[in-house]
Amino acid sequence: MKLEIKNVSKKYNRNKYGLKDFSITIEKGILGLLGPNGAGKSTLLKMIATISKPTDGTIILNRNNILKDANYIRKQLGFLPQDFGVYPNLNAFEFLEYIAALKGIGGPNLKTKIQQLLEGLNLLDAANKPIGSYSGGMKQRVGIAQTLLNDPKIVIFDEPTVGLDPEERVRFRNLISDLAQDCIVILSSHIVSDIDTIADQVAVMKNGGLLSQGNQEQLIKLVDQKVFETIINKEELKNFKDNHIVVSTARKVQGLSIRYISENPITGSTSKKANLEDAYLYLTKIN
Amino acid sequence: MKTFLSTIKFDYLQRTRSYSFLITLCISLAIAYTFVPEPNATYSTIRIADHVGYYNSAWFGYVTAIMTSIFLSLIGFYLINNSINKDEITKIGHITASTPITNFRYLLSKVLSNFLVLLTIVCIIFLMSILLFFLYNDGYSLEILDFLIPYFLIPIPAMFVISVLAIIFEVIFRKYSIIQNIGFFFLFSVLAFSSSNQETQYELDPFGTKIVMHHMEETVRDIIQVEEQTNLSIGYVLGNIEETQKFEFNGLSFPVSFIASRLMWMLLGLILIVIITPLFHRFNMKEKLRNTISTPKFLQKENNQEIILSELKKSNTDYRIFSLVKTELMLLYRKGKRWLWIINIIGFVLLAFIPMDIAYPLILPILWFLQVHRLSEISSKEVYNNVHHFAFTSHKPLRRLLTSQIIAGTILMILLALPLIVRFFILFDLLSNLNIVVGAIFIVLLGSTIGIVTKGKKLFEILFFMITYANINKIPFTDYFGGLHHNSNYLIYLIMITVILGTIGFLTRGYQLRN
Repeated sequence: MKLEIKNVSKKYNRNKYGLKDFSITIEKGILGLLGPNGAGKSTLLKMIATISKPTDGTIILNRNNILKDANYIRKQLGFLPQDFGVYPNLNAFEFLEYIAALKGIGGPNLKTKIQQLLEGLNLLDAANKPIGSYSGGMKQRVGIAQTLLNDPKIVIFDEPTVGLDPEERVRFRNLISDLAQDCIVILSSHIVSDIDTIADQVAVMKNGGLLSQGNQEQLIKLVDQKVFETIINKEELKNFKDNHIVVSTARKVQGLSIRYISENPITGSTSKKANLEDAYLYLTKIN
Repeated sequence: MKTFLSTIKFDYLQRTRSYSFLITLCISLAIAYTFVPEPNATYSTIRIADHVGYYNSAWFGYVTAIMTSIFLSLIGFYLINNSINKDEITKIGHITASTPITNFRYLLSKVLSNFLVLLTIVCIIFLMSILLFFLYNDGYSLEILDFLIPYFLIPIPAMFVISVLAIIFEVIFRKYSIIQNIGFFFLFSVLAFSSSNQETQYELDPFGTKIVMHHMEETVRDIIQVEEQTNLSIGYVLGNIEETQKFEFNGLSFPVSFIASRLMWMLLGLILIVIITPLFHRFNMKEKLRNTISTPKFLQKENNQEIILSELKKSNTDYRIFSLVKTELMLLYRKGKRWLWIINIIGFVLLAFIPMDIAYPLILPILWFLQVHRLSEISSKEVYNNVHHFAFTSHKPLRRLLTSQIIAGTILMILLALPLIVRFFILFDLLSNLNIVVGAIFIVLLGSTIGIVTKGKKLFEILFFMITYANINKIPFTDYFGGLHHNSNYLIYLIMITVILGTIGFLTRGYQLRN
């Protein structure tokens, strides 16, 4: 299972690119896509999902050019878009049956499978109510259920944890880890904590380009020995931000506790163990 | 005041910066082009007995102003009657409701942006009328006041009244768009055709056209010197052009009472907005969805708290479109309020029992028109409901999904026409049955193709309304279901148009999917 994205660009007008000369190779496991808003994550995912076509470049899945044969990937794709809707007059069961029909899935097992999915996502009690009456989190779970209908080999989740409560997030992470045993899972988010515990590989994007790709240790190594913590006065914050990359601030009795990234720490700072969020902020700020 | 004007401005910009509004403007231009027939045309729009006016400034100015007032009042309502609903759909309404803006101000801003939208169309028609004058005039010079005065006094106040009525209907009938549509049509018919022709009551005419038409009749009566009523026709009348005679129409000086009445109509509109303000929901609407929908009985909880992938049943491939057609039919059935099906049942029963010469050309197009809200989004509901990411990444969406939508729509239309089909079958009238089936496919494809091209539903709703209005008035070239034509040549012509329509729809959707 290999998905190769080669020199892909999406040009909107003369000067505006959604993606620019983007290349990445994705294999079985979980790829976490990190990047600020407008980095091009959703553009990339829509291209892989065959919703959008690149202006240049190719996307190849197992030696098949999916830009020429979109149905090759569609048959094995589970896609949860960032912002999706539902038919409000259908109930969850009917909606999933409809999506299954769209995907070309049927047969005697379908109803049982839908039941298993609804039950596993804690939607069975509400399965006979119209989806229009569902909360945001419930709709999101229906969205997750539909990705699994066709036993996908490539699963794309674009900001999947929006609307999920903490318990559901944990269950969702377990599900993704389970899925990644046999599939390519691409998980896009700008919330680092959604990715850092489960992603095998992390790609950081900004302005339509790939800043860095590697496993978590490789990325964290970029900021190794560069993360510090100190306490400053509130008035000094602006000046401090001009000279260092501030990761987080917290109010304390003594002043503001600052976690920051710098190659020249100020006196009195204590060195801290770097994490993925530090690496992500470092990469997106220096580029 | 500045912020109030800003809300109107941005609401107006939001509504006019759309592809569908551009198409609407193009159609308005095309229709305006027909308001004054070219000298050799085989139809007339305003005609008094056998007379039409010389093509001078007054004739162009007054005729186009009258036609605009009547036709844009009717069609314009359907164009603008979803401004509050759109705020509900886009959730802008919830933000608005949490701001300090008063209900009256909000409704007034909607009236004014409605008015600006209609005014834009009036301006386009106005410019077209001047262009037509230069194309066709009988050697007269341009008198700009003959254009400006009738436009200011006839269609512009009428458009304000329509803008107010659209808001009143939206506030009172909320999301019941079908009641809004039928209710306004009824009101329009009453206002347009039942108001008195008495000279003293022109002030009661909201469209402001009767005073001019009466003056035209008087002028012709003076020429042909008859006392009795002359036959004034307004609308698209075909034929009878050879006997046309011309008369000099130089406009009229409007009485002060009439001018004041036009202002009074606008003022009345504002008062009505004040009156209905307490009824405005301010987006605190409870979504009335069905409480439960039946689901298979085997759904019984087994207390599985997580999805265990290895235990999930394996999927089987099934590329047949039966399931899609079934769900599309279900979506069509559940669209709109359930009790509105009573009207469909009444139409269904009427088709079974009333004489064929009424059932076929009259009841059938009305019954089919009542499905307008279903057909208008038959192929654009994925986009409308934001389900397109699922739909367009599905297996062969063009061949499977679009086809199933068209099949489901056609099944619905044929089911509704079933009593008539059975009656024709008993009479061995195969041609009429073929006409009905082709008509059903045609109107479904029209809704589908327009939805695909415009990515909206408004244009089809207006067009379907106009077609049905023309069907009821037995205008031959809008007969899409063979109600007026009973010959195989016409059927072949219908089939050809249907095929072209379907091809455009499939090609456009294919292009959209590829890009």
